[in-house]
Amino acid sequence: MTKELEHNFVELLEQHQNIVHKVCRLYTNNQDAHNDLFQEVTIQLWKAYPKFRGESKFSTWMYRVSLNTAITLYRKSKRTIDTQDFDAFQFKITSESYDDTEEQQLKLLYNAVHQLNDIEKALVFLYLEDKNYNEISDTLGISEVNARVKMNRIKTKLKTILNP
Amino acid sequence: MDELEILKKDWKKDDSRYPKLSYDDIYAMILKKSSSIVKWIFIISILEFVFWAVISFALKDADFNKKFESYNAQNIMIPFMVLGYLILAYFFYKFFMNYRTISVTDNAKRLMENILKTRRTVKQYVAFNLIYLVVSAFLVLGIEFNRDETMIATINKAAADGELFKFYALTILATTLVLAILIGLFLVFYYLIYGLLLKRLNSNYKELKKLEV
Repeated sequence: MTKELEHNFVELLEQHQNIVHKVCRLYTNNQDAHNDLFQEVTIQLWKAYPKFRGESKFSTWMYRVSLNTAITLYRKSKRTIDTQDFDAFQFKITSESYDDTEEQQLKLLYNAVHQLNDIEKALVFLYLEDKNYNEISDTLGISEVNARVKMNRIKTKLKTILNP
Repeated sequence: MDELEILKKDWKKDDSRYPKLSYDDIYAMILKKSSSIVKWIFIISILEFVFWAVISFALKDADFNKKFESYNAQNIMIPFMVLGYLILAYFFYKFFMNYRTISVTDNAKRLMENILKTRRTVKQYVAFNLIYLVVSAFLVLGIEFNRDETMIATINKAAADGELFKFYALTILATTLVLAILIGLFLVFYYLIYGLLLKRLNSNYKELKKLEV
C-alpha cells in the first residue's frame, strides 16, 4: 500500500514539478536555495499526500502546499543569502526572445518582483499562474476584495520600483 | 501593457528553463527529513516541557527541600506541587491538540495562526513556570522567616540591633534580584530562539493581517 502510494505520488510530482520550480524561482536567489526549498516542498507534499482526496486537482493542491511551505514553514538555510544578484539560471531567457531591450526589461521586472515581500510574491505567483481572485483569496485566507486591492497596490509598487 | 502582463507572457512561454528532476531524484527526496519550522517548534517545545518537569523533580530531592520538610509546611507545599503538575498536564494536552490542527493544506493565514497558537501555549506554560518560581521563592522565604531556627535567630539579632527593617529589605531585595536575573536570562534565550525561528512567519502573518484592515 505504501509502495503504491509512493509510486503514485512520485509520478504525479514528476509530472507537475514545474509548479514547485516556479515557486522556488520566486522565493530563492540561487541554485542551492532553490534545491533546498524544492526538497522541503516535496517533503511537505508527501507528508500531506495521504490526506489528499482528489476533491481538488492535484496541481491546485500543490499550489497551496508549495506556497505554504515557502511563506510559512521553510526556514531559510544559511546558504540563502538575500542578494539582488541572480545567477544565469534565473534569467535563462528563451532564444526567440533574444532581443536586447526585451531581455533587459524582463530582467528588471524579475528583479523588481524579487524585491516584493513574501505575501506579495504569493499574489504575483498566483496571478502569473492565471488563478482568479476567488482562488487567490482561498489560498491565502484573505477576502477577494482585499486580494484585488492588494494586487493593485502591488502593480503600483512594481511601477515605483521600476521607475523610481 | 502593464508590467505583470509582460511578465506573464514570459512566465508561461517556456517551461524548459526549469530543472527536470527524474523519478529517482524525487523519490530520494521523499525519504529525507523535513527541517520546517513546525518541526523545530515541536522539538523545542517538548524540550521546554521536559526541562521544567526535570527542574521540579530535581528540586524535590534537593537538600534544601529535605531541610524544608522539617518546617512542617507540607500542608502548603503539597497542594502547591499538585497544582503545578495538574497545570503541566493541562498545557501538555493543549499543546498536542494545537499541534494536531496544524495542516499544510489549510489556507496560509489559518496555517500561520495554528502554528502561532502552539507557540502561544508553550509561551504561557513558561510564563506560568516563571510565575510559579517567583511565588514559590517568596513562599519559601516567608516560611523560613517564621520557621527556620537560624533565620529566627538572625531576625532576633537584627531586631536587637534595631536593624530589623534593613534585614528584611536586604533579604527580599536579594531574592528579587536573583529572580530578575534568572527571568532576564530566560527572556534572552527566548528572544534568540523564537525571535530567529519565527521572524519570517511573524512578519508574513502581520502582512496578511494588515490586508484585513
